[in-house]
Amino acid sequence: MSELLSGTAIRPWIERLLADGKRVAGPQRVHEDLVQYAWLTSADQLALDGFVRPSNSIKEVVFPRHEQLYGYQFKGKRIELLPAELPTKEQIVIGARPCDAAALPALDGVFNWDTQDEFYNRRRELTTVVTLACGAYDAHCFCTSVGLGPGDVRGSDALLIAVDDENYEVRCLTDKGRRLFAGVTTESSAVGRVMEGPPVQFDLDKLGAFLAGGYDNPAWQAAAMRCLGCAACAYTCPTCHCFDIVDEGGPSGGTRVRNWDACQFSMFTAHASGHNPRGNQGQRQRQRIYHKFQIYPEKFGALLCTGCGNCTRNCPAGLGVLPILKTIAPTP
Amino acid sequence: MSANIYQPDLMEVIQVRQQTADVKSVRIAFRDPEQARAFSFRVGQFGIFSAFGAGESTFNICSSSDWTDFIEFCFRRTGRVTEALWNAEEGDTIGFRGPYGNGYPLEKWKGKNLIFVGGGIAMPPIRCAIWYALENREQFGDVTIVYGARTVGDLVFANELDRWAEFEGVRVVRCVDPGGETPDWKGEIGFVPTVVERANISGENAVALVVGPPIMIQFTLPVLAKIGLPDASIYTSLENRMKCGVGKCGRCNCGPVYVCKEGPVFTLEELKRMPKDY
Repeated sequence: MSELLSGTAIRPWIERLLADGKRVAGPQRVHEDLVQYAWLTSADQLALDGFVRPSNSIKEVVFPRHEQLYGYQFKGKRIELLPAELPTKEQIVIGARPCDAAALPALDGVFNWDTQDEFYNRRRELTTVVTLACGAYDAHCFCTSVGLGPGDVRGSDALLIAVDDENYEVRCLTDKGRRLFAGVTTESSAVGRVMEGPPVQFDLDKLGAFLAGGYDNPAWQAAAMRCLGCAACAYTCPTCHCFDIVDEGGPSGGTRVRNWDACQFSMFTAHASGHNPRGNQGQRQRQRIYHKFQIYPEKFGALLCTGCGNCTRNCPAGLGVLPILKTIAPTP
Repeated sequence: MSANIYQPDLMEVIQVRQQTADVKSVRIAFRDPEQARAFSFRVGQFGIFSAFGAGESTFNICSSSDWTDFIEFCFRRTGRVTEALWNAEEGDTIGFRGPYGNGYPLEKWKGKNLIFVGGGIAMPPIRCAIWYALENREQFGDVTIVYGARTVGDLVFANELDRWAEFEGVRVVRCVDPGGETPDWKGEIGFVPTVVERANISGENAVALVVGPPIMIQFTLPVLAKIGLPDASIYTSLENRMKCGVGKCGRCNCGPVYVCKEGPVFTLEELKRMPKDY
């Protein structure tokens, strides 16, 4: 027996969640050919099929692109610090792709090794991720090359698998998932089937060997020749998490905020003296690949790439992880 | 203590000293006596200092860890945050978070002769170790300090150089780049690596701390090798740009090594194993 979420039950269920004061995010068709994860104000905005994957990622749900760390007020020569208000609302992502959900356990490591980031952790605790197994892939998808697949459950609290055009089998994976779907599903004998993923497109062992000795390889400069340094790759990547901390304020006070940042920007590592350890785009591309496939894995025992392909899909120059890795670590 | 790892402690500016035309050193003390009591650090560690309204910057804590009434930092006026810090006056409030990083391995330095080599604005991260060594004189051997700047006016903590020279077993060699001297300049004229070579320093039972512009470090290292210092006995402090200080913001790494966590102090031996992202 399986749990079934019928097509007719989805919208009333989401409306109920919204009415209960929960924040619900999911894919929305914001333009004829642009689908993005966004907060829903109505269940009708949710788009579950007819596209490969949203052009952004769900990391914004736990790591907003702009976030207040604390505020401050000038009191003469003194300062009063104003603690940031931590979120309290439960938040639910519906229709995450497996390559988005799998990024969350990867981010958990970064925000919790050595010191705990309470902003990230609070949002993460409040978040339930309902993943929808993929129904299609495109030329940029490479989940299978990094050990994932269209039905992978890493980072998910529940997995939906399409049974037919209308209905979904629900596999609850965590207590959060079970709580969310309590009373929503019906028992059924229908089961969903997860499609096969794209073919494996590069060789991880070969890549490891290349990276072990490839720091000064001319491939990095060659890869970066077309790169504009716009960082669309990093901003739409589910796992990229670099940030900047800046002040926003006026004469009476202000806030200290963190904003997304990216290793592809030329000023990212620039010293005050003018010296820049990663002064050219090849060095910056190299950093991004090394971070995902060597630096993070050495520290946390997993890859910092889920094969979503957003880096290439959103790149104005057709670069990104897959084109580079296909060149330096081709499959036999 | 707040659970917010990004929230700074509030510090009162208690002294501002202008060191050169564009360098100031600032002493700050905790506004909250509880925080002051709980605070300690190791020389060589750094902090993230903030001017509210402008932002945060990373500097070495250039006071000795034995001084408990204040901590001190030193900076060149060069951008938005340092411009705001430049304007700080006594009694003003600035933010501090830290200490971060590893600091100097003083335990390993005990009983050794110490060689300090610095250039320009890199004196502060050496100065904290010098004061520590001089005020714990019995723990260390001879101390040699070679400090150079482009011009006489660019020497930071210049008045302290004289005080250091008064300690027994301490030799201070001052230098300025050719053309940077004044008519009454009594120090050496020449670039730091050359001056180090001319100074005939013994490398026996010694460790060296070399901090300065990359070009100065690059040419000083062979000189130190020549006097017999192994790579494991040569230390430097890296200056990689940082935002968080706690291994998350993603910019200070040299390959797998996060400078904010595993550094900023490295031996030459360690540096040679790291990608050159510094």
